[in-house]
Amino acid sequence: MRCTIVPPHILDHMAREADDPSLRESARRSLVISTAQRTERRILPVTAPAATQDFTPNRTIKDAGHTETLPGETVRAEGAPPTSDAVENQAYDWLGVVFDFFEAAYQRDSIDGAGLPLISTVHYGQGYDNAFWNGEQMVYGDGDGTLFTEFTGPLDVTGHELTHGITQYTAALEYYGQSGALNESLSDVFGSLIKQWHLGQTADQADWLIGQGLLAPGVNGVALRSMKAPGTAYDDPQMGKDPQPADMAHYVNTYRDNGGVHINSGIPNRAFYLAADAIGGHAWERAGRIWYGTLTGGKVPSTADFATFAAATVDTAKALYGASAAEVTAVRQAWTGVGVRV
Amino acid sequence: MKVTVIRSGGFAGIERRGQADSADDPLLDGLVGRVDLSLLPPPGRIPDQFVYDIDIDGTTTSVGEAQLTGPLRELVHHVLDSGG
Repeated sequence: MRCTIVPPHILDHMAREADDPSLRESARRSLVISTAQRTERRILPVTAPAATQDFTPNRTIKDAGHTETLPGETVRAEGAPPTSDAVENQAYDWLGVVFDFFEAAYQRDSIDGAGLPLISTVHYGQGYDNAFWNGEQMVYGDGDGTLFTEFTGPLDVTGHELTHGITQYTAALEYYGQSGALNESLSDVFGSLIKQWHLGQTADQADWLIGQGLLAPGVNGVALRSMKAPGTAYDDPQMGKDPQPADMAHYVNTYRDNGGVHINSGIPNRAFYLAADAIGGHAWERAGRIWYGTLTGGKVPSTADFATFAAATVDTAKALYGASAAEVTAVRQAWTGVGVRV
Repeated sequence: MKVTVIRSGGFAGIERRGQADSADDPLLDGLVGRVDLSLLPPPGRIPDQFVYDIDIDGTTTSVGEAQLTGPLRELVHHVLDSGG
């Protein structure tokens, strides 16, 4: 038995940097080009369209019938009445809330900014403990019932997955290492902001948790991640302890989880919380606008590390509010607070 | 042969690990003979998908859940379910 032992990030590096063209080509061939990487980058200027513009979602809910076959059978199209399945209807409703948030807060028309239809498949797999964005659509499992409940339940899960789509069409942050952790963090940031917008909360009223309500009764934890206090969301005999670091001094080097994208996202998550807390008010209005403008502004390279992204948020804050604005100071201090130099 | 599977990633980012030995596990012994890790493409970069690190007697590979089919899929779930 012969095994492939070259991890994908090394292949990536070889495909780009190897001196020998045949080696580059071979590495390139070995790489699976994910849908995300194939998607054309569509960078949109951050300008507000006319106030008369009114975007409408185009949602389709599909049901995998507890198989792992995508996309599944269509059960509810846009405008159709509710079905008899609560999970299908919850998925439909949350897609509508996420769509409305991006329209209301940032005048964005769907995932691609151009009205992309929203497709979600529910009841994926058996006791499936996950939700993901596969480059074209969202997919939700029902959870195993012991550790996790349905992934369609919490609004921020849908917000998180749909934001992966937006990132794919904008900054296209590579899903590995620090750029991957930024990709993850942006999904948490907007996932949380959508929930705060839906509940009408200010920064000091929000729980800043990701996946609150997803843990089954009896699990010792409040959520999957805490943006305010990374590393404190759960500590359970079956699940283990929340592994997220809160600052660069505790950055986790690992090749698992695409280089710790769900672990080190705690650092930029907390930076966003610190900025939003310092600015105050509704977090989506100013802190969120700075992050959204940075994500969609076309100036962040797809391989950006934390420091590059941090510098870009400071630039966006200056462009939006002026070089000496309190928002600029808040953003700068937020990154300094997690050990990222700006 | 000693087989270790570590699942990482997923929306929750929670690691799961399983280990089993084909010497005292006839089902696993059959599965090990039917998988060829050298034929697998790298895991790809699908946001929030599970990534599986598979170690069969010291030879290792990473597989994304989208590529997990056939006997390898059986092997991965069998080893994860056997804990260890």
